[in-house]
Amino acid sequence: MANLSPFEIQARPNRLLMQAASCMLFVICMGLYMQTSVRRHHENPEDRVVPSLTQLAAGIHASVLEPAEEDDYIPADNASKWERFKHSMIVKDTISSGRRFLISLALLIPAVVLALHIGLYPWFGAFFMRFVLFFDKIVALSLLPILFIVFGIEEWSKIALIVIGVAPTMILDVTQMVKAVPQEQIVKAFTLDANNFDVAYRVVSRQIMPQVINSLRLNLKPMMLFLFAGEMIAASDGLAYRIAIMRRHMGMDVILPYVLWVALLLFLIDFSLRTLNRRMHPWFQA
Amino acid sequence: MVSGVMTPELHVASASAVEVANGARALTAAATAIRVDDVSMTYTVGRKGKRTVLQNISLEIEEGECVVLLGETGCGKSTLLRMLLGQEPPTSGSITVAGKPVERVDSRSGYVPQRYSLFPDRTVLENLCMGPETSKAHIFGRLMPGFRAFRKTVRAEAMRQLEHMGLHASDAAKYPHQLSGGMQQRVAIAQALMMKSRVLLMDEAFSALDPATRASLQRLLRSVWSETKPTIVFVTHNTAEALFLGTRVIVLRRESREDSCGSRVALDMKLPAAGMSLHRNGKEFLDLVEYIESFSRGDHQKVSSDGDDRDGSAFEAETTTVFPLDGETL
Repeated sequence: MANLSPFEIQARPNRLLMQAASCMLFVICMGLYMQTSVRRHHENPEDRVVPSLTQLAAGIHASVLEPAEEDDYIPADNASKWERFKHSMIVKDTISSGRRFLISLALLIPAVVLALHIGLYPWFGAFFMRFVLFFDKIVALSLLPILFIVFGIEEWSKIALIVIGVAPTMILDVTQMVKAVPQEQIVKAFTLDANNFDVAYRVVSRQIMPQVINSLRLNLKPMMLFLFAGEMIAASDGLAYRIAIMRRHMGMDVILPYVLWVALLLFLIDFSLRTLNRRMHPWFQA
Repeated sequence: MVSGVMTPELHVASASAVEVANGARALTAAATAIRVDDVSMTYTVGRKGKRTVLQNISLEIEEGECVVLLGETGCGKSTLLRMLLGQEPPTSGSITVAGKPVERVDSRSGYVPQRYSLFPDRTVLENLCMGPETSKAHIFGRLMPGFRAFRKTVRAEAMRQLEHMGLHASDAAKYPHQLSGGMQQRVAIAQALMMKSRVLLMDEAFSALDPATRASLQRLLRSVWSETKPTIVFVTHNTAEALFLGTRVIVLRRESREDSCGSRVALDMKLPAAGMSLHRNGKEFLDLVEYIESFSRGDHQKVSSDGDDRDGSAFEAETTTVFPLDGETL
């Protein structure tokens, strides 16, 4: 007989029970939502705060198949679903948010290379380390007004916010990883006639790569956070912009699908990075 | 026997005496591989404190010698090895390896550390090929047309070296974490040998292994040494290992525990080239272990006077028969 007490450390529940237990909170949340929705609609059939399933379906339909309000695009009457989807609100927002996200991701690559040098070359360390430590303590969002003034309220201020917010942490993290590479490895590489570039790019960077990817996975959330902050304050498109706009007229039927869509996107990026990491670095012992 | 405590002048004097005695043969055979000239090492501790680790060390190691550095924990034997590598510059004095002064770590000497001796992100074969490939073509040289053919010959050589070290061809595709500690050290020795450098520096290379593996690796290292006669400097704290591997034992010892007092060479002694073991030499081996360890503990005066009281003459006689080279014992 399986021990069902939740406060038993040595309990050995079987697989099925474990799976069931892990789904439990999802089921409870959905049940509570449905119940609230039904009750509120009973009182007021036009309720928009907790949309019913039909309202949600309409909201999803609107965001996936219809263009954004501010767009002039009017689909032809015989336009296919794919044609409508391509010009829909959610695709437009995802592309503009994704573009900012990917550009800032690309700008993190030089940051990682810089960190590799800071950790490895004493002169780089002396030159940059103290400044990065100082810069890391500046709250990136407090720089936002300055960024708006310097870069304008267009794309680059948002991208700069993400990079300034995440890069110093990332640099410090990667520097620590570089310093944690055993000295023996570096000495050994030099006795194998490696030059400085061999040691940096063919010994150390290869060894820390899986950790760098893991660090990036942890930093996805802060990146998204800075992106959303930037978009909510000043943007004319993007996922967070839409959520902020919809709040003005209680468009919960669009907000909820958007929130879940962003969560799904983040999960997919994280999952693909994790899979990539495992495939590329079979030697890595977590 | 008493001349075990060495002073630099005495060493140089006796070395030249040997050269003169053996004539031209000695002059060609005794090319100096490593010369340590009056080296001291002082670390700064805290704000004002200073700690001297090594003090006025002078050594001359000939080509083809297998020198074992012995001493208690913290006596600076690993520091001395790091200085030979070029990893740390000495506070004063100079070090010459293979005819040139040591300024930075380079490919003059091979290196086998106790841990982290292999690159974890490369397979065994890639680890072995890394030295020659890097040395021939750094980053962009890999794009040159001749590189593929070169890589092929290096791979063949690596496979030969691998089998020579007692590993199977099927191990070549494994990553280091899939090998046992002993296997890893075998690969590490092979990796260093691939560079064909004439000096091999080993820092407690077998200390993390279980006794059986350790013994087999000691035999392996001995056979490697007797085949190509590289100059080996081997740091260990195990006297039995020292006697089995070495042709010369150097004991470092700190005279007092004060920070200003660094370790000096307490004993510098040649051993028969065949290597000694308890199995082969029995009682003499045990006596010699006791003798050497008395130097590293620093109570050798007491032991030798005890020996004189009881069976000192027997001990002396024994050691002279064991050591046909006793005249050269420094």
